[in-house]
Amino acid sequence: MTAPANFKFLSRQRRVREDRRFVAGKGRYIADINRPDALHVALVHSPHPAAKIVSIDADAALALPGVHYVLTGADLAKAVEPMMNGLDTPHVRRFPLAVGQARYAGEWVAAVVADTRALAEDAAELVNVDYEPLPFVIDGEEAYTPQSAPVHAEHGSNILLDRTFVWGEVEKHFSESEHHLSFRVTWGRNSTVPIETFGVLAAWDPWGETLDVWASIQMPKYADQIARAMRLPGNAVRVHYDVDVGGSYGVKRGIKHTVLVGHLSRLLNRPIRLIEDRLENMRAGDAHGPDRIFDVEVAFNSDGIVRSMKMRALDNAGAYAGRAPFQLGKPIGAIVGPYKIASVQYRAISVTSNKAAQEAVRGFGQAPTNYAIETMMDRVAAHLGLDRIELRRRNFIRADEFPYLIPSGTKYDSGDYHTVVDKVLAHVGYEALIAERDALRARGMLAGIGVAACLEPSGGNSSFEPLLNDKNTTTTWMEACRINVDALGAIAATIHTTSSGQGHETLTSTVIGETLGLDPETIRIVRPDSLASLPGNSPVGSRMAIMLGGAAHLAANKLIDKCKAIGALQFGCAVEDVEYAAGAVSHAASGRKLAWAELVNIAHRNFHLLPEGAQPGLEASHVYQVPTAGDLPTTDGRIQMYPCHSFEFHVVLTAIDPITGKVDLKRYVIGHDCGVVINPHIVKGMTLGGIAHGLGATLMEEFAYDDQGQMMSQTFMDYLLPSSHEVPQVEIVHHCTPSPLTVFGQKGSGESGYLGSPAAISGAINDAVAPFGVRFEKLPIRMTKISDAVAAARSGKA
Amino acid sequence: MKAAAFEYVRPVTLSEACAILRADEDARVIAGGQTLVPMMAMRLARPSRLVDVARLPELAGIADEGAAVSFGAATRQLDAEKSTLVKIKLPLLAAALPWVGHRPTRSRGTVGGSVANADPAAEIPLVLVTLAGEVEFATADGVETCAARDFFTGPMMTALPQDAVLTRVRFPVWSGRVGVGFHEVSTRRSDFAYVSACAQVRFENGVCAQLAVGVGGGVPVPTRLDAVAQALVGTAMSDADIDAALEAPVAALDIMTDHYASTDYRRRVARELAARALRDARDAAIGAAA
Repeated sequence: MTAPANFKFLSRQRRVREDRRFVAGKGRYIADINRPDALHVALVHSPHPAAKIVSIDADAALALPGVHYVLTGADLAKAVEPMMNGLDTPHVRRFPLAVGQARYAGEWVAAVVADTRALAEDAAELVNVDYEPLPFVIDGEEAYTPQSAPVHAEHGSNILLDRTFVWGEVEKHFSESEHHLSFRVTWGRNSTVPIETFGVLAAWDPWGETLDVWASIQMPKYADQIARAMRLPGNAVRVHYDVDVGGSYGVKRGIKHTVLVGHLSRLLNRPIRLIEDRLENMRAGDAHGPDRIFDVEVAFNSDGIVRSMKMRALDNAGAYAGRAPFQLGKPIGAIVGPYKIASVQYRAISVTSNKAAQEAVRGFGQAPTNYAIETMMDRVAAHLGLDRIELRRRNFIRADEFPYLIPSGTKYDSGDYHTVVDKVLAHVGYEALIAERDALRARGMLAGIGVAACLEPSGGNSSFEPLLNDKNTTTTWMEACRINVDALGAIAATIHTTSSGQGHETLTSTVIGETLGLDPETIRIVRPDSLASLPGNSPVGSRMAIMLGGAAHLAANKLIDKCKAIGALQFGCAVEDVEYAAGAVSHAASGRKLAWAELVNIAHRNFHLLPEGAQPGLEASHVYQVPTAGDLPTTDGRIQMYPCHSFEFHVVLTAIDPITGKVDLKRYVIGHDCGVVINPHIVKGMTLGGIAHGLGATLMEEFAYDDQGQMMSQTFMDYLLPSSHEVPQVEIVHHCTPSPLTVFGQKGSGESGYLGSPAAISGAINDAVAPFGVRFEKLPIRMTKISDAVAAARSGKA
Repeated sequence: MKAAAFEYVRPVTLSEACAILRADEDARVIAGGQTLVPMMAMRLARPSRLVDVARLPELAGIADEGAAVSFGAATRQLDAEKSTLVKIKLPLLAAALPWVGHRPTRSRGTVGGSVANADPAAEIPLVLVTLAGEVEFATADGVETCAARDFFTGPMMTALPQDAVLTRVRFPVWSGRVGVGFHEVSTRRSDFAYVSACAQVRFENGVCAQLAVGVGGGVPVPTRLDAVAQALVGTAMSDADIDAALEAPVAALDIMTDHYASTDYRRRVARELAARALRDARDAAIGAAA
């Protein structure tokens, strides 16, 4: 590992190469890709949260000129396999269109294919569906009860998962502890809501018997899942990865959209295009995030040391299973946060309901869990009358205790939490911040300080799959890179996935440039289609800096080895005596040297000069296994989840208008340690965006349902995303604790900010209203609720 | 989100526009389109045809009429905001305009469109009612005027006949030393206000000589609180005077509720924002007098 200070390109303030085309408006998004002979799809949506589909009459729609076809769920189900479930729940079946029964308001019941999207929408209105409304359930706790109406009758209940893990001597630690307390917090259903909705274009080639797919996708094993659902061999699906994705952070999983248009393309022998509009994206894109109730019991001593925790997490997955229940599994890898909690009981419950289906969202369940853990730390501090930061310090894992094994089986790689907190407090001027809060209070404002410390598990693998599904034996979640040096000496390297703003081209070129000692600007990054790709798992779980960065570095090392072998033969020395630097090899003893051009020439043209057994040309590939991965879970449910653990510490000062409840974030400081940074601009952008996202989750964003099972926030008029007016200036304090597990010491950063800001902002609000005896335990905390609660408390006192 | 099929016409004269509207009862007027177009995209509005009045010469221009300033209905909100005449003669409207939507929507949205749309949370109707302005409209039968207090009849409902084109909006100008205050509150800046309030005050010899205060957002139509004016004219408008004067009129308001803000919230905040607007207006009027 090179010391960070000696990097030539890595960690430097170099431009993000993708930004040039994005800023110039020259990105190539799914809506920029079309085929002149493409047909367009519009959907018929269920108006009911649960209803039997008695009949579908499409005659009027089909009579409209320009309408080609109307597909029903019953017809589709005959032609394709059900979509994959993460858990072993074979009776929770799901097809792209509702089959026999609609299970949430907005669910797709039929698809209309027409010459234009507008025509398809006209025709969709003419499809006459006869429904027979059924009992429905919206609330998660209600869905958990045996008497609730099952969303999937064949499954027998609404319970997808109900498993209790006990790691360590929980009951003993509880009985030994001097204090216990318990509380409930609720995480509202929000998501990442990208500017670009999901879109896909599929074109079946009957002569080549292949399906070409262009999509705004961020999904592991996407091509495999399409092939499986469409009963095609894997090599009949070609996903084009050279499509820019206009935002995702987890939710661009459009497998149902893709199977639908893939099937229609094969059936109608025309390219088919479906680009969600905002309504479809919001109500039926199946892209909502976790919707979770936490009941927490904590055991601690008078000195503030937290001994044990019991957490019950009930997640409302919505109408279908998908991968959503796994979002209860991933947080197991950081279930104690940055703290030395000796034992944990964790009960993970996932239920179906008649809400839209849930999908992966930034952090994959970690942000809600961190919110519960940090609320717990605030509650313990309040109970003992201890300063909230001091309490956290007392419980932090110390820098000299890494690698640190937590009760649930994950070994944390590295960290220095105390130092990050010290740096943040020094930057903030914590005493002055308290004085500022008190001055605001004296002026009649509600003012509060919030703090949060949390981890970002990174380097995503899929250990939660075998942990929660006995039939799943996945122990790798590889990523790959191939580097090819052409006969003129120019370098092209590959990425085998789409990117949704993470800067993978910058990442890969920087890593290869650093490793080879060559200017990253000269390295071209290409994205082969899925049929020409090496195995990989796409950018999920905050993994690409670690995984793609690792693969690129190790492939570059193989290239260096080839160059050294060529040099050794030329120099007549041992390979060990050949030095590689900046594209050239040299032999110190003889002073001989071979420049890059000479190495390339030998590799490509002079087979007679190659070492025996060497292949001609100059290329190398590496398929990188996740560091630490490879084991199945133990029988008592312990597993190494993700390899690396970034740390963040938030301090926020809020001032709230006591009458209107308007929340103003006056100061926002985050200390951030993601190990060695590959590109500082990218890390900064991720962190700022993550804080804005968390602000939305805390104060305004919610996919809210009314008691009729209708979603009330279907547009941006009701689903409120923070704007530039609401997002504060954020000050970032950097720290670097390299990971010993990765090629440069890097860790993940893609979820930073979002993982701690809800806890910090809600903590600040609760500090502000504490003088009134008010506490908010449910997100989002709307300004109107703050005002109402404070008014009620005031009138109660009067 | 594609609109249902519709026809589009751009008449050259006002009378032509009126004739088209009379002949087709499902036709709708469009100017800036900042509300109507999204409604059409979601198929919540399905006009048979759009009658584009944005370029009609009769609907253009800001006019100084001495005792009033009038706006051709197709005046862009941003042009009104940038108008020096508005800044000098209609300080309350000048204070409200930056809260109308967002700058990009103001560059398309029109003064008349906001009035005709009659959203309870809209700022321009609130100022119009508070200042007791009037609305002028044309039909194939001729031109009529309507007092603002009679024009707004309910949420998104007005006295405008189906076949009419709103032509001008007229705001009275107050002489003397005037102060104004405008407040609104929403989760995000420039969203539809949960509650809004505005006030305009003229001071003479240390006491309030003229006053208008209105509340919008949480009420079905923008509402002018005349009882508050009656109570405060002739006083120095102390904070206590203001609070006392607001108590009964705000308690009597017909407040709406929804998922996001309770009735209690809206009433409590209406009282507070009206008080803030009145205090701001008083302070500004006194400052102007000094």
